[in-house]
This record gives sequence, C-alpha cells and structure tokens, in this order.
Amino acid sequence: MSALAVVTTFLFTVLKYNMALLYGTVGEIVTEKSGSLNLGVEGTMAIGGIGGLLIGCAFDSIFVGIIAAFACAALCGLLFAFLTVTLQANQNVTGLTITTFGLGLYFFIGNGLKASGKWPDMLSLEGFKSGTEPIKIPLLSKIPVIGPAFFSHNILIYLGIIIAVVIWWYFKYTKPGLRIRAIGENPASADAVGVNITLYKYLHLMLGSGIMGIGGLLMAINLSGSFEGSKCWINGYGWISIALVIFANWNTVAAILGTFVFGLFNTLQVYGGSLSDAFPKALGWLSKIPPQFMQALPFVITAIVLVITSITNKKNNKPAAVGLNYYREER
Amino acid sequence: MKDQNNYAIELENITKTFGSVVANKNININVKQGEILALLGENGSGKTTLMNMLSGIYKPDSGVIKVNSKPVTIHSPEDSKKYGIGMVHQHFKLVEVFSAADNIWMGTEKTGFILKKDRYKKIAKISEKFGFEFNPQKLVSNMSVSEKQTLEILRVLYYGAKVIILDEPTAVLTVQEIRKLFDVLRKMKEDGHSIIIITHKLNEVMEISDRVTILRKGEYIDTVNTSETSEQELTDLMVGRKVNLNINRPATEFDKPLLEIRNLTVKNDEQANAIENVNFYIRGGEILGVAGIAGCGQKELCEAIAGLRKIENGQIIHKGENIVGLEPKTIIEKGISMSFIPEDRLGMGLAPSLSITDNMILKTYKENKKSPFVDRNKAKKKAEGIIKRLGIATPSADTPVRRLSGGNVQKVLVGREIDSGPNVIVTAYPVRGLDINSSYAIYDILNDQKKKGVGILFVGEDLDVMLALCDKIMVLCHGKLMGVVHAHKATKEELGLMMTGAKDISEVNGKVAGIAKDSAIQDIKEDCDAKH
Amino acid sequence: MQSTNKEPLIRIVKRTGLKKRYAALLYLASVIIALGIGAILLLSLKANPAEYYKQMFTLGTINNKFAYLQYENYIKEFVPLLITSLALSLAFKMKFWNIGGEGQFILGALAGATVAFLVPSTLNPLLTMILMIFAGALVGGLIGLLTSVLNVKFGTDETLFTLMFNYIALYILTYFGETKAGWNIFLKTDSERPQFAKIPENARMIKIPLGDFSLEISFVFVILLVAFIFIYLTKTKHGYEISVVGDSINTAKYSGMKVDKIICRTMFLSAALIGAAGAIRTSSVQSLSTSITNDVGWTGIIVAWLAKLNPIGIVIVTALISILQCGCITASVSANNVDSHFADLLQGVILFIILAADFFIRFKIVIRKSSKKASTQKEVNV
Repeated sequence: MSALAVVTTFLFTVLKYNMALLYGTVGEIVTEKSGSLNLGVEGTMAIGGIGGLLIGCAFDSIFVGIIAAFACAALCGLLFAFLTVTLQANQNVTGLTITTFGLGLYFFIGNGLKASGKWPDMLSLEGFKSGTEPIKIPLLSKIPVIGPAFFSHNILIYLGIIIAVVIWWYFKYTKPGLRIRAIGENPASADAVGVNITLYKYLHLMLGSGIMGIGGLLMAINLSGSFEGSKCWINGYGWISIALVIFANWNTVAAILGTFVFGLFNTLQVYGGSLSDAFPKALGWLSKIPPQFMQALPFVITAIVLVITSITNKKNNKPAAVGLNYYREER
Repeated sequence: MKDQNNYAIELENITKTFGSVVANKNININVKQGEILALLGENGSGKTTLMNMLSGIYKPDSGVIKVNSKPVTIHSPEDSKKYGIGMVHQHFKLVEVFSAADNIWMGTEKTGFILKKDRYKKIAKISEKFGFEFNPQKLVSNMSVSEKQTLEILRVLYYGAKVIILDEPTAVLTVQEIRKLFDVLRKMKEDGHSIIIITHKLNEVMEISDRVTILRKGEYIDTVNTSETSEQELTDLMVGRKVNLNINRPATEFDKPLLEIRNLTVKNDEQANAIENVNFYIRGGEILGVAGIAGCGQKELCEAIAGLRKIENGQIIHKGENIVGLEPKTIIEKGISMSFIPEDRLGMGLAPSLSITDNMILKTYKENKKSPFVDRNKAKKKAEGIIKRLGIATPSADTPVRRLSGGNVQKVLVGREIDSGPNVIVTAYPVRGLDINSSYAIYDILNDQKKKGVGILFVGEDLDVMLALCDKIMVLCHGKLMGVVHAHKATKEELGLMMTGAKDISEVNGKVAGIAKDSAIQDIKEDCDAKH
Repeated sequence: MQSTNKEPLIRIVKRTGLKKRYAALLYLASVIIALGIGAILLLSLKANPAEYYKQMFTLGTINNKFAYLQYENYIKEFVPLLITSLALSLAFKMKFWNIGGEGQFILGALAGATVAFLVPSTLNPLLTMILMIFAGALVGGLIGLLTSVLNVKFGTDETLFTLMFNYIALYILTYFGETKAGWNIFLKTDSERPQFAKIPENARMIKIPLGDFSLEISFVFVILLVAFIFIYLTKTKHGYEISVVGDSINTAKYSGMKVDKIICRTMFLSAALIGAAGAIRTSSVQSLSTSITNDVGWTGIIVAWLAKLNPIGIVIVTALISILQCGCITASVSANNVDSHFADLLQGVILFIILAADFFIRFKIVIRKSSKKASTQKEVNV
C-alpha cells in the first residue's frame, strides 16, 4: 500500500467506525440540554441497533431500519422519561438500569433468534445491503485522499453529520430549542412562563434516545449485522459518548470534531502500525505506543478537561439543571 | 371602571393544604379592574401560596376562581397566562444564561418556529411603550436585581397580562428603585391593569394601594379601603391584636465589650462587598439589634463572626483576642453561638432529616475525645429537657426535625444554642414566621440570657420589636454602617431613614459610630485620639 | 354559586411518613410482577417458566450431588458485590456520586495480584491475603482520595470523573493482559499468546472445609464488615458526620465540621473497600481477567440505591441479586435456548418496577370527586 493509500484508509476508518459515537453524543447532548443525565446510552444504543437491524432486515430496507432503530431507542427514552419525569425516579439509577435492561434484552433477543436459526443474514438481503453501500458525493469524492476518505461513505455516516448540524441549529435558532434549553437551565422559569415541561421533556428525551439508537444500527452494520453471543456491538461506545459530551462542551457541532479526535485515537490503536510503516520517519514512534494507551487516551483527556475546567473555574455549557428532577409543588 | 361588579379576579372560598398544614382556609378576595390591591400579612400568612394558585403553580383543594366574572380552572402557568394573569415571583424565574429577549420569547405563543433577529427590536419597542429603559440583548447574568425585576414585569406585560401579581417586589430594591417601580405601577393602573402587590410593609401599602386585603395565618381577615384606614389599624388587623410593644427590656449592668468588630469588610458569594468597613461592639448583658432591608449584608455578617465566611479586612475581637481566621469549631468553643434562620428555616443550623436528638449534639458530639462513639443517651436527655422547657410539640425526641412545624423547628435551634451556655449569641431572624406567642417565648429566652451577662446580636426584620427588645440598634444600608442608636431614644422613622440611606450618622463631629470608649483595641483608639 | 369544578381527576401529593410494612409489600409485589413479565418472555422462547424459576431460585441445587459447588459459586459472587455495595453506600450517604466502582475494583484487583506475584511463594497464605487486601485497599483508596480532593478543592464533577476512571483502569488492566514482556509478572510464561497467569498457591483464597462444601474465608470477613459498617454509620462520630454532611452541607460547616476532610476520608474508605473487594475477588477466582469485576461497580450502585443505603437492606438485596445472577446461569444450562443474560433483563425489569413503586412510596395520589358545593377528597393507596 502506498503511503497515501494508508492515510486514506486510515481517515476513512476513523469516520466509518466512530461515527456511532457522534450519534451517541448528539443524543446525550439533546438529553442533557433537556435537563436529564441519561447513563443508559449503552443500553439504548444496543436496543436501537438490534431493533433497527431486525426490522430493517425484515422489510429489507435500510430506511425502515433507520426509522425502526430510532423508534426502538425512543421507546427507551420514553421509559426513562416516564420514570424520571412522571415518577420522579433518580436519574442515575434509572439510566444504569436502562443499560442493564437494554443489554439483557439485546442478548435475550439475539441469542433467542440465533438458537432458533432465525437471525437474519444482512449481507444476503439485497435491499438492505445496497442501502449500506457507500454513496459517492459528486465532485467532492473525486478529490484525492479527502474524497475517498470523507465523501465515499454509507448513508448513516452523512446522516450523523446532518443530524448534528440540524440539532445545533435547532437549539440555537428555533423557539422549541430555546424552550428546551430553558428547561435544562431552570425548569421553574420555563414553567412560570407556561412552557409545558412534561411534554417538552418527554419529546426531547425520546428524540435524544432515538438518535442514539441510529448509532447502534450503524455499529451493527459496521459488523455486517453478525450477532456474537458474548459481546455486544456497542462495546462501550455508549459510555465514551457520555465522555464526549463533556469534551464537546454540550455543542453538537463541536461533537463532530470531538468524534473525529476520539476516533483518531481509537483508530490509531489498530492502524498505528501501518501508519508508522508508511511514514517511518515522521510516525515511526506510533508503533511503540501500546494500543491500550490510545484506547484510554480519550478518557484521560476528558478527565483532564474536567479537572482543568473546574480549576480555572471557566464556565462550561453544562445545563444548570442536569440531573435534577422538577416537581412544581416543591416547597 | 367604577362599576362595582367589574371584577377582574374573584377568589371564592379557596382552601389549600400541604399535608396536615392548612396554608389557605376559605379565602375570598377580589380585584377590580384598574386598581391596586395590597395583600398584607405577616410571614407565613399564606399570601404567596394564595397567589401561586392564580399563577398556576399550585391548585386549590377547593373553591372557585373567577376571571372577569367567569369561573375558570387554572391547571398550570400556561392556563394562567391564557387568562391574562401574570406573576412576578419574589425569586425571579429567569434563565441566567439567556438574553432578556429570549427570557420573554420562550413563553410567547404566537411567534413562529424560528427565532428571528427582529425579536430584539420587537421587545425594545414594547419596553419603550411602557416606559422602560432596556437592552433586550443583555444577558440576565449581567443584570442588576432591579433590571431583573423590570424584565419580569415587562415579560408579563408582553404576554398581555391584565392582572399583575407582584410578590414582595420592594424587598430587594433601593429607595430610588422603589419609587421608580411605584411610578410604573401607577402607570399600569392608569392603562386599566389590575395589580396585586404582596407585602408586609405598611408604608408601601399606604402609598401605593387602593384597597388592602389582610390575611392572617392562612385565613381571610378583612378588606379595607386604603384611604379610610391607618397604619395602626392595618397592624391590628395583620397581627390580630394590638401589638403589645411592652416586650420586656430588663435593665442590666453592661460589662466591658465582649465582641468588638473593627473595619470589617466581607464579600458575598458574587464577590461584591457585602459588609464594608463596619465597626460595632457588643457588651455583656446587652442586646444589639441589627436593622436593614433584607439582603443588606446581614447574612454575611453573621457568617463572618461564626468563621464561615472569609474576612477580607478588619478585626473581630472576642474578649481581647482576635478571632479572625479561626476555624468555626474553635469559635464555637470560645462560646460564640450563631443561629441564623434562613427563609426556608432549615438551611443552616439543623440537619432536617436527622432526629431532634441528633440535632442536639451537632456542635458537641466530639466532646468526649476518648470515645469514637456518639453519646446518644446524653443527647436524648438533652433533647427531652429542651422539649420540655420550651414546650416543643413533637411525638418524640426521635422525630426528624423536618416533620416539625416552623415554630418548633426554631425552638429546637434556639434551645440548643442557649443550652450550650454561650457568652455571645448571634441570632438572625429567630422569630421568622412564628406566631406571636412563640415569638414572645423566644424574646423571653433571649432576655434570660441577657440577664446572665451574655452579649446578644439580634438581626431582625420588625422594627417595632427591635425598638422594644434591643438596648441599641445598629443600622446597615447596603453593607455600610449608617449608625448606632439607643433603642429607647430612637424612632421608627429615624431607623427607616437610616435603612434607606437617607440618614447617615456613622460619623458625627469626627466621632466614629460603633467604637467603644473602653475598647480593648488600644492601638486603634490611640490612633483615633491622635487625629483629633 | 356555579359548579365549575373541572379539576383533574387525579392529583399527586408528596407523602410524609409511611408504614414500613406497606413499603415492603409494595416491593414484594414489584418483584412478583417482574417475575410475571419474565415468565411471559420465557414462554415466548418456549421455555417453561416454572421450571426455569425453580432452577434459578434453588441455584440448581435440587437433586444435584454437586450442589455444594453451586453454593461456593454463589459465595464468590455474593462477597465482592456486598463489599462494593456497602462501600458505595458510604459515599452515596454524603450525596457523593461515586460511580467509579468498576475502576476502583479493577485497580484493587491489579494491586492484589501484584502482591500475589511478588511475595515469596513460601509466605504464609493468611499473611499473603492480608497483604493483598491491604494493597488493593490502598490503591483503590488513593483513587477515591484523588477524586474527592479534586472535588472539594476545585469542584470537579465526581460523577463524570469517576466514570472516566472506570475506563482508564480497564485499559490499564488490558495493557497488562495483552503485553508480552519480561517485566510483565501477570502473564503466563509458557504461553505464546498473552494470557493472565494463575496466582501462586499461597495467594489463593483460604477455604474452611465444611464437609463437601468449603467456605471462603472472605465470607467471614464480609460478615464482620457488615457489622462494622452498621456500627460505623449508626454509632460512631464519623457516621454521625456522614449523615450531617449528606443532609445539609451548610449545617455541617456551621457546626464546625471539617466538611472537606469528612468527604475525603469517607471517599477514601469507600474506594478502599472497593479496592479490597477487587483483591479478594482476584484471590477467589485465582486469576486476573478483563471481566473480573462482573459489573459489581454498576450493580453495586443499584443495590445500594434499592436498599435505601441501609446496611442490612444491602445484605438482603445483594443476596437476592446474586441469586438472580447465579441462578440464571444455572437455569440457562437446562433451558438452553435462554441466554444467561436473561438475568440482566430480569434485573432491569424488576428495577423499573421498583423505581415505579418508589413513586407510590414518596407520593400519594389523590382522586378528586367533584360535587355541587365542595369537593371531597379520597386518598387511595395504590
């Protein structure tokens, strides 16, 4: 492989295998902007992934798959909203339970179908498979290196970017966005001016979870939809997403950059060797770095970001009411 | 307009309970169009609760609400807004990180999906119409208290409110700002708005309102025309009986200064000066009152003495020893007791979920240095003793403090503090929200301590009480000392002028207020002498 | 007067005080409902729920001559989860959200294993175990201390910070597990592929033989620990301080408590106990692995919360959750189309229903009947 080809493949991989992080992160940002900390990203993505894949395969359509992934995960969001908004349950515990439950359900369904031989083979389904083929963007995909690395991806990669930008616009420039931000900052103030808090929280918690779910579907597709009995597709990406929210400072556009940075480290652990072979002088040191170090780096960086922002007392964009349930008649 | 049946709002037989506490009982109130109604009552008389039922925060247990003579049901603030009711809450309901315009915009109904730049213009226009000077793009976090209030008022006006409720709007304002606010209210009245203003300040009631409705302990007492009443009558209605201003003020022999505060400067949480260069002293056997509008540095002063807040500058001399910079624990051990009753009553001084017994040993649980265990038997005896002595109504000493009623909570706190045998008592708002009898019980307790030679700093709200109870009164205005007066010579009017900063006698003929003749701080005194 | 009461039929009111018996019944009902839902799911896989649950609740010990092995396995699961849950409850009581149990557990396990491989193989087993536990506690505790110091000094968010350490710790462990090198004492020397080695004989858990069954000595330790934590929280000055800090930080400061010190001390203790649990687990399963935690850091949070941070409650909840987890593994052996992750699913369903049941413990629902003149209220206990 030529050095340039290595770089191209590397960048392509960064995007392809880490875009699920962006879905998780954008979903969690939507959730936190509405004033809730949902630690159930991992479970929500698992349910979105398996639901989206199974229903998508049943209808042999990627579009049905995407909608189903969104809908299944949004149901997790509905459950979270019901427990924390209506029933005022603790958000940390509810989130963790969603993860336990989600992974349990994932294996229950997966192993159940596998045991009875009904697990669909994604690659043999023409309609679904063709939906996951790369789409080359005219003109842009012709640019050397950048074209094949960034503009020749499957639909879910582009969709992730589009969602991140649209959500950013939604929060900044629309009235419902303004209202949900108000709820995340100070629910009592939003309530006092007549914003229907319950409705808004339900809708946005479902929206956030739904977005996470599409990320789950992407992870399934990246693994060709094959189900392993012991290891979940999501494999900790849900948890990384929660870290990424802090790294991206609750900004969905910054999350695109954050995903790329985190993805870079994730991919370096696999491609570090090829890169150091391709550029022995400049990147030779890469092969000496243990892959686990690369994997741990995003978490180390996030921890450092957490500490530094608290030391410098710099105000981050964390919504003020995250994690607190709102009960109007509280005295 | 003068039509008697032309009521904007009518409340009929409204009752609201919280658990076993009856906050409002069969209340009837009405407001005419284009009038200002004052809702008068002591703390805890149910004014805010009643108004929160109009604003949709609470729902009444029973009763009827009528808007423009039509019965309505208000489930939520949304409904309230729909019926043209707007409330300016005492604690502002604003999103700090939003601009003024966005704080208004988030509640508007008609405007479209997308936020447009012209919203700033629209809001600037309407604020001009009502005569406010206002920058719609300013962030709330950069606003002064008065600006925030203006924003709240503008907001309800923008939503088209015809009935505007203001909850204690003047508590946090300066004299000039109050004047400005009242001008705005009068203008709104002329435009045909109905205004309900919650307050417990009589002079304001007399100045601004057309009629006054008085509540007492959650019950409706009376409604009178302001022009036909007097402050005296209102006071009688508000407290239920003639205020017995004969609170005991036992004469005692004053000792040497026990606690001397010199050039004290303390910052508040926002890093602004809360207490600025303040001097005063307390002798053994005297009660020194601290008067001032709410939020004028009282809390910060108390915290500074107790060692809970960093002291920027100055000295606190206790029995000749500077206690600045000492740990709260050391200060407690020196016999300085501080009890501060915050608005929610439970914020500082008590652990609400713990039992009375556990709360008794809050400051003394470490007494027995040898044992790693807490001595609960002793604590229980102490609790039972105090329950008996102060007549605290509780099922047992094991009941969590949270379950007690307000008066009993305060008795637990004050009882514990006095039981610790202090030589200086700093107490802020010890009778906050208490009924008259409980208040008198607290005054008696303080007087007993005074007779024992304890020096007491009494931060209060009610000037009448302070004039009767205290030996001297110091007045704070925005963190500055306005002067110290002898309570038996001072008048309420004089105190009022000092509180609003209209009269400053902190330095008369070169004599600085709050410095004792026989001060223990010799060097400074010499310094002062040298000057003159 | 017109009757215009259009008030909603149901209203939610905060509840003050509730009989314990009522709460217990509510929780019991929640578990039964959850098991019912589980039964439906099992039927959907054509498994026999009665048979499955029987196997699960008895841990498959009926007519099993190797039943003692099941009990031994059960103890292996029970002990680390119990220690972790107890430890987490200490921090939670101060409203300090230590969700870093996984990381503290892993680092404790690693420290324990380090001691196991480094001390001479002739060292007395009991002494070795004590050294391992001590090392695990020290490493775990230091991580806890770091978190709490950053929190009290700078206000660093402890929830997210401890969360990050879970992964940092996991990758540190993975690094040792996947790196072949001369210095790497944790790996098998005779294997090509990097693989965690068994710890030396003298570092393996001491067992007290009771017939076929042998009791791990850690069980004795954990029972003593329960008693200690119970006394620590309810009788000692430290415990008193923890409850005051958890209830109201302002009050604690006001009363002269050194709140920062109390938070750091308690967090050190909490994380140290979790680290010790990690070392105990290593000694008990006799080898490191990347799945050594068995998710106790997560499950512990749920246990502590379910038990309302009460030490005795934690023992009961841990016992039940361990039955669920061990039992499901056993039961899935006989019902081979049901995955052993069914435990997670069932656990999730139980928790959802209990979280919902909590609502009825904290709030009560008032149903309103409107009449012409006044409305009457009727309270219903749902």
